[in-house]
Order: sequence, then structure tokens, then C-alpha cells
Amino acid sequence: MSDQKRVIEYDDQTVRMFMIASIFWGIVGMLVGVIVAAQLNFHILNFDTSWLTFGRLRPLHTNAVIFAFVGNMMFAGVYHSTQRLVKARLGSDLLSKVHFWGWQLIIVSAAITLPLGYTRGKEYAELIWPINIAVALIWVVFGINFFLTLAKRNEKSLYVAIWFYIATIITVAMLYIVNHLSIPTGLLHSYPIFGGVQDALVQWWYGHNAVAFFLTTPILGIMYYYMPKAADRPVYSYRLSVVHFWSLVFIYIWAGPHHLLYTALPGWLQQLGMIFSLMLWAPSWGGMLNGLLTLRGAWDKLRTDPVLKFFAAGVTFYGMATFEGPLLSIRSVNALAHYTDWIIGHVHAGTLGWNGFMAAGMFYFLAPRLWKTKLYSVPMANMHFWLGLVGILLYVASMWVSGITQGLMLNNADEQGILAYPNFLETLQSIRPLMLTRVVGGGIYLAGFILMAYNIWKTVQSGEAVNGVCEVSAADEDAKKMGLIGAVTHPAFLYSAGLVVFSCIWLFADGFLELIGMGATIVTVMSCIVHFTRSGDSFAHWYDKLLENSMPFTVLVLISAATGGVVQIVPLVNIDKASVAEDKMQKVYTPLELAGRDIYVSEGCYNCHSQQIRPFVAEVKRYGDYSRLGESIYDHPYQWGSKRTGPDLARLGDKYPDAWHYDHMLDPRQTSPGSNMPNYPWLFEKFTDYGSLPSKINAQKMLGVPFPDWSPAEIDSAAKAQAKAIQKKLESQGKEVDADTEIVALIAYLQQLGKSIDLEHEVATN
Amino acid sequence: MSQNPNEEKIREHTFDGIQEFDKSLPNWWLFTLYATIVFSIAYWVYYQKAGIGLDQEEELKAAMAEIDENVARAKAEAGVLDDDTFAVMAKDQGIVSAGELIYTQNCSACHGANREGGIGLALNDAEWKHGSNPLAIKKIVDEGVATAGMPPWGPVLGDEKVNQVVAFLVSKQVK
Repeated sequence: MSDQKRVIEYDDQTVRMFMIASIFWGIVGMLVGVIVAAQLNFHILNFDTSWLTFGRLRPLHTNAVIFAFVGNMMFAGVYHSTQRLVKARLGSDLLSKVHFWGWQLIIVSAAITLPLGYTRGKEYAELIWPINIAVALIWVVFGINFFLTLAKRNEKSLYVAIWFYIATIITVAMLYIVNHLSIPTGLLHSYPIFGGVQDALVQWWYGHNAVAFFLTTPILGIMYYYMPKAADRPVYSYRLSVVHFWSLVFIYIWAGPHHLLYTALPGWLQQLGMIFSLMLWAPSWGGMLNGLLTLRGAWDKLRTDPVLKFFAAGVTFYGMATFEGPLLSIRSVNALAHYTDWIIGHVHAGTLGWNGFMAAGMFYFLAPRLWKTKLYSVPMANMHFWLGLVGILLYVASMWVSGITQGLMLNNADEQGILAYPNFLETLQSIRPLMLTRVVGGGIYLAGFILMAYNIWKTVQSGEAVNGVCEVSAADEDAKKMGLIGAVTHPAFLYSAGLVVFSCIWLFADGFLELIGMGATIVTVMSCIVHFTRSGDSFAHWYDKLLENSMPFTVLVLISAATGGVVQIVPLVNIDKASVAEDKMQKVYTPLELAGRDIYVSEGCYNCHSQQIRPFVAEVKRYGDYSRLGESIYDHPYQWGSKRTGPDLARLGDKYPDAWHYDHMLDPRQTSPGSNMPNYPWLFEKFTDYGSLPSKINAQKMLGVPFPDWSPAEIDSAAKAQAKAIQKKLESQGKEVDADTEIVALIAYLQQLGKSIDLEHEVATN
Repeated sequence: MSQNPNEEKIREHTFDGIQEFDKSLPNWWLFTLYATIVFSIAYWVYYQKAGIGLDQEEELKAAMAEIDENVARAKAEAGVLDDDTFAVMAKDQGIVSAGELIYTQNCSACHGANREGGIGLALNDAEWKHGSNPLAIKKIVDEGVATAGMPPWGPVLGDEKVNQVVAFLVSKQVK
């Protein structure tokens, strides 16, 4: 058997299917993006229809482009390149099919449930719990299929692209499962097990690292395969690959709290989020350098080859976005940019520029090869490139200007604390031309993408599907295996682990322990340097050996990626809720308020309204006293928000009479001239779901929310009595409404916002 | 580990035809990495260990104290504001039209474009529930009426704009 040659046929059919699915969902997702961007300019485009309203469609846009467009693109790229990098057919044909069809089914069910208002109310984690389970299962199928492929590989060592794929599979599984832990209250509804500040921290640990490990690491792996292939040049630097891979995987996880700067999140976590974001700059740029410098000696090909054109621009956008990220996480910059369009622009530099262009480059590379033909039209691909580039620049530049303009206006208070722009709507009017430019930019980008779809469709028509093959000789089995013990007993691992442990002791402990930590950190660094200088070859050999053994490699990736989350989240999960409340504590909702809150979540109000007042003069003057940690401690899910298309609502309660809310929800322009908020007429017709309240309250009690021991009948009558009282009040103000409609429950919720219990009689400010 | 950066050392192993150089890390890149690490440690020590840096609540407290001081000084300098002052202001066309603009932007949604009332009370009749003299009106605008759902506008608009809108209302007052 030993000298025998075998021919392996790759499973490229799965790759083709994922690729076509990605292009299809890409068009859908981006089209929804253009629609929601247009809705922000012209409120009539919400059509007074619940399932076409911004708050429900925006999650559809984000989920579609992340999980459907990039997800399918990633699977195509991972499956195509991995088979070739390890010289083996995909692990299991059955699993490949289950993976493909399972994922498409998930996307379709998401596309149905999100517009209907079934949501968990957490950004990029909106899908309801049955779909969450399906996602986790299909992801496990993907993982098994991938590792099965590695198990039967005919290539001993793992190439850098595979490292990134392993990091993706392991870390996304960890993030997704933890952030989606929920208690169901029914078939379509659940509450996340974390609440308030804990939920915020877990959410952004997930949200930030969804960007890292769903939108970045797999695409870096794809870059490491397709870039040198297309350029026909060696990768610039192997050792840069090693250093930037491990630093990226370790550091990324810690940076999540930069989404929560100046909120009620404890200061030490905010500062960790900021400094780890700064330290992430160089590791990210390591990837950009290795991509761009691989093109050395091949720059002339950029003129003729659309594939390289897209890759070079995509990697450049990656570099730009990963410089902008650390910049935005500097606290004083964040004070200006947070909640504004600048963040939207930043995200789209990454998604349109990096993900979109890398996807396009990969598709133009794959189509002729998977269908054994020539690209239908190179000029059309070049046209796509320029349309895409102009689209991105219009989009990103307008969002920069918009974000900075609105941020400056909103934060502008003079030396007497007087707001220069007291009316929020004034700041909205000033960015309207920029919001319109964004629609144009996004539309041009989409036009380019559709051109690509046409180009690839014509290419597919002109060729026929063929599967790649390769010839392998049976592997010689004399190589000595390295197990987990071998991996973790080498100085390279011990120094790294020691460095992390000792520096954590130094940075987090006090007194004597702190000194020990500092001393041990310094000793570790020094001895590591000495050891490495003397016998660096042994480190290199250890790493070469590690690359031949996927199990210990995977475990080390998991350890690196899990460390940051453990250090940040565990201390916060174990806190006693009452003891951290500072000076204000949230009141437990009445049944009707809880029903109203679920309507608020279901309508996606958090997409445009925050509930978190930052401790700035301008915010305290505009919205009221800054938000305390205790004030949202019972909120499952938390609703702090991340964007203020409209004003903050944390202290909305009692600011306006019920009748104001009645008018405002029916037609926001009646009370707020010039507003771009949709009308919500269906709230005045749909009846409040009282029936589910007992099971909802029961679930919340299980999560530790101190609801009284109500019977279902008591819950029902309490809800109805409060609704009746609000209806009477509205009637006295000349507003006719049925007491059992959703608007009444929503008003009950809105009118209690910010009415927390003062634990100390003296309020800190104001 | 010294290596000539121009040396094109290539690793022997290839993956599906892909080769890898083993060039040393660019110095400026390494410098960036080390600089951010050093800065981060210093930042942490400044805020968490040495306790020199203010936390966000302390920052706000300091800023608010400064503002209170400025407001008190401005009030002292402005002298006493009484009903007669408003009577004079209400005849100043510049002040009244400035007040009208503020009214349109912030008050008309509840009190009506022509002060005919709506969610809020009418302001174009002779009935003034909380007192009709200028200082009483100013107090309502400044502090709001929590029970009626009227928000306090003093902290939002500031003294000057509140005075302007009061002057506007006084100028239109039906005696």
C-alpha cells in the first residue's frame, strides 16, 4: 500500500452550492439594507405596515448579510480551500448536504420570523430560540465535517489558513452558545438568562467577536489561500503569520467592552476594553501586511486581474477599519462617536470593503475554476470594482461626516451647561443630506454586486461543473505524534501561560500579591527572551510539530480565545444583584408594563433608541440624571441600545402625558415635526397578549427577578386594571382607545422608564 | 535570530503550490505592538493602580460643579429679573421673535401652533392656571409641571432662551 498512488476527487458541488447561495442572499441582504437606509430618509417607506417597519427590517438586514451572505461565502471558501490544503475530500458527503440545506432553512426561517416581530431583542442575536438551537446544531455539523476532513488529510502540516478556520469554528461556537442561553416562555419567545449589565457585557463579548471570528478570521484564512494563489507569489512572512495569528486570537476577545464605554458598566471593564482594542491594532495590521506584501512582484497584475484588484482593495479596507476600530475605542473619541452614524460607517468599511470585496475576489477566482471555463466578462468585473469602490466611499464618507456632525451638536453644552441644540430633531435635520448620500452609495454598491451576479451566471452557463482532483501517495506513518501533554509542557506554552497568569495577578491584585505578580511577570519575560535567543530552534520545532497535530492545536486556540471572556464575564456573573446597585435600583415591572416591554422589544425600538444616559453634562441636561447599573438589573434582555437615531429613552417616564404618547405613536410628526420615526397604527388595533404573562413572569422569576407570588388570575386582573386606568386617563384627554390594545401596554411601559428607587436620599448630581 | 531583511529565505514546505517566505517582522510593526502594550500598562496603572485618573462619575461631578459656579456668577451679574423687566422685554421685537421661534420648535407640539392648546393647556386665553404674571410663567417653563406631563425646560433651554419665550408669551397675553 505504501507506494501506491490514489486519486482523490474533491467535493466541489458543495462549494458551488454555497457560493450561489451566498450571491443570492447577498443581493437580498443588501437590498434590505438599501430599503432600511431609505426608510430613515422617507418615513412613508415604512408603509404603516408592521412587517415592513424599520425596527423589524434592520435586524433582517444585519442577520442576512452576516449569516447568510458572509456565512455562505465563508463555507464555500473554507470547504474549497481546506480540501486542497490538506489534500482530502470533505469529511462526509451527508454532513455537507445537511450543513448546506440546514443553513438555508435557518436563513429562510429567520427571514420569516424577524419581520413578524419574533425576536430576542439583542443585536445580531435576534433569532428566536428554536432557530438558535438549529444554528448551534448546524455549526456543530460544520465543525465535525471540517475536523473529519483534517483527520483524513494527506498533508501532515496545517497551513495558516487552516489555523484561522479552526479559530473560527471553535470560538463562534463558544460565543454563540453563551450569548443565546435563554429560558423559553413559549414556542416563539424566550428571555436571555443574563440581565442588565451582565447581558450587556455578554452581548458585546459576543457582538464584537462575531465581527472578529465570523467576519474576520475566516476571511483572513481565505485571504491566505486565494491571495498567493491568484498572485502566484509566496506569502510574505511565515513568522508574521504565527505572531499575528496568536496575538489576534488572544487579544480580540478582551475588546468587547469598548461598545459600552461611559455606560453603567464598571470602569475596570471599560478600561480593559479600551486598552485591548489599542493592542489589537498591530495584530490586525499583521494580517493586512501579510496580504498586501504577498503582492510584491505582482503589482502589475492588479491592472489586468479583477481578482487581485478586489483582494488588494479588500485588504486595504481591512487595514483602514482595523485602524479606525482602536481609534474609536479611545474613550474621548468614543464619547463623540458612540450612538452616531460614525459607527455605522466604520462597520460598513469593514463589511462592504473587506467582506464584500474579498467575497467578490473569491467568487471571480472560483467561478471559472469550478465550472471549467473563462470568466464571462473581465470589463464587467472591472466595472463592478469601480462601482463598488465609489459606493463604499460615498457611504463611509457620508457616515463619518454625519456621525461627527451629530455627535458635536448633541454634545455641545456651553460653560453654563446650556445645550446649543436642545431639540434632538434639529440634529436629525442637519444630517438628512448625508443619510440620503448613504442610500445612493449603498445603491451603487448593490448595483455592482448585481452586475457580478449576472457575470457569474453567464460564466456558469458557458461552462460545466467539474470537481477538482489530486493525486496522493499513501502517507508514511513514521512521524512521531505530539499529544496535548507534549503541547502544554513545552517552554513556549509555559512562558505564554505564565505571562498571562502573572500579569493578571499584577494588574488585578492588590498589595503583596500585586508585587509578586509584577516580579513574576518580569522574570517570565526576561527568561523567555534569554531562552528564546539561546534555543529559538527548539521553539520552532515545537511549533512545526504542533502544526502536524490538529487536536492539541485546537485546544491551544480554545484556551487563548476563552481567557479574555473568563476574566471579564465570570466576576460579573457572580455578583449579588442588590449589592451593586449603586444609589438607584430598578422597580420590578407590573404585568402590564412587562407586556408593554415585550412589545417594545418586538418592534425593535432598540434599533434607534438607547436606554443609557452617559455621565456627560450634555446628556444629563438633555435626558436627565445618568444611568446607574442598578436601574436595568432586572432587564432580560437589556435594552441599552447602540445607536441613537432618536433620543435616549432611559428617563422618558412622566416626561409627557399619556396623550402625547398616543399621538406620537400614531403619527410621530404630530408631536415631533420633522421626525423620521415610523407610524405604528397597528398598535391601536392589535390586542395585548395577556395570556402569556404568567409563563413570562414565571420565567423571569426563575432568572431571579423578584416578582411577587401572583396567581395567573391575579396577573390577568392586575394587567387589565392598569390598562383600564390608562384608558380612562386617555379618554379624559380626548383619546378614544380600547383598553386591551397594545398601545396601552406600551404607554404603561414607557411611562415607568427611569422611575427607579432612590437608595440614597441624596442624588449624586443635578 | 539576526537575519538580513533582504534575504529571501523560503520555507521548504508548500501547500497546494503555495510557498511562504520567512521574513523577519517589520521593525515599525513590532514597535507599534510594543508601544500599545506599554501604553496600556501605563493607562491601567494611571486609572486603576495609582488612582490618579478620575472615573467617569467623578469627571461629571467636577464638570457639574464648574457649571453651577458659572450659573451662579451669571445670575449675580445679571441682577434682579422682575415682572417689569419682562414688560420691557415683551415690547422688544427682537426678543419676542426669538421667543416665538423657540415656541414653535419646542412648545407648539403640545400647546398648539397658535397657542390654542392640545395636549397642553391653551395659552391664548385669559385663563392662567398657574399664575399670569411673568415670573410665575417663567417658573412653569423652567421647572415644568410633573403631574401634567410638562417637562422642565430650564435645564434644556437655559435662562436666556426661557426668558425669550416668556417674553413672547407675555407679549401675546390677553389681559
